[in-house]
Amino acid sequence: MGMRRRSGTFVLQVNPILCDGFGHCAELAPELVKTDEWGYPIIVNEPVPLANVAAYESARYAERGCPRQALHIQRFSEKKPH
Amino acid sequence: MIALTTPYLWYTTRATGMVTLILFTMVVSLGTLVANRIGGTIVGRFEINELHRSLTMVAMTFLAIHILTTVLDSFVPTGLISVVIPMTSQYKRVAVGIGAISFDLILAVWTSSLLKLRIPNTTWRSIHWLSWLGFTTALVHGVMTGTDSRKGIGLIVVVACALTVLIAALWRFFGRPTRAAGRTALSPLAVTTGPQATSGAPRPAPPSRPATRSARPLAQTRPAPAPPAPRTPGGPRTPGVEQRPFPTSPLPKSKKRRP
Repeated sequence: MGMRRRSGTFVLQVNPILCDGFGHCAELAPELVKTDEWGYPIIVNEPVPLANVAAYESARYAERGCPRQALHIQRFSEKKPH
Repeated sequence: MIALTTPYLWYTTRATGMVTLILFTMVVSLGTLVANRIGGTIVGRFEINELHRSLTMVAMTFLAIHILTTVLDSFVPTGLISVVIPMTSQYKRVAVGIGAISFDLILAVWTSSLLKLRIPNTTWRSIHWLSWLGFTTALVHGVMTGTDSRKGIGLIVVVACALTVLIAALWRFFGRPTRAAGRTALSPLAVTTGPQATSGAPRPAPPSRPATRSARPLAQTRPAPAPPAPRTPGGPRTPGVEQRPFPTSPLPKSKKRRP
């Protein structure tokens, strides 16, 4: 926890080919993921600052909890914004 | 082999074997619940998944105790090598061999799940199908070697485990689709009131899941974003309502293909 860089941003990305709409991500990271009508994720597009530790932890839980491994956390440094 | 003549090792083997069978029954059933997309209203789907993973750890611990006490015990002559290689045990060659096959399969499933973030998901899924075979061989191993599984409460437990997993298997293979279809419980349109399972707030009973998407009239749900409604003849298409479910950037419309 202490070694993590707090600067920069991240985006939770979904691979729509792998995703089968289990909906675990919307439960694990409700601040980042909503579901559409069929249960597939709609993910917040804007980069979230890494300083938002709660959101980053949620994203990591969602990445780990995805039954299809369709989620990936893309991190950006401050010099290269999204 | 170490000469351990206490009978408690043998008792531990028998007891942990039975407990492991029950635990793996629960693990397989919970995995079926995850795969069939149960949960999302009262219990979160991720919670069932986490329980599935955690109970696997408990089951693997009991399996380790079961195997270790069998190897250490001198009451039956089984060697260390017959833990993983079938047909090498002097005691009940076939039955212990089937147990070794089961252990190999379970080990493959377990290791691939531990490495899940590092291997392709299709590989993990292919290996995970082996869990059905792993449970079946474990059940056969339990019946064939079982000192306790032939009569009384042991027989009841074994039959109950077998029936549970049989029902789970039938439900898994014939019951539910592999992809999400229709309004799922997690959809904001499926439950019109109340938050989702993460908030922990009490919520009303979930509505019964419609068999098809068109079974529920669209007027009951929130108006936007409207799904692409099935084209019924004469069905009114609301003008001005975005028909696409994803509020993404507009994609270039493909040209109409002519047959």
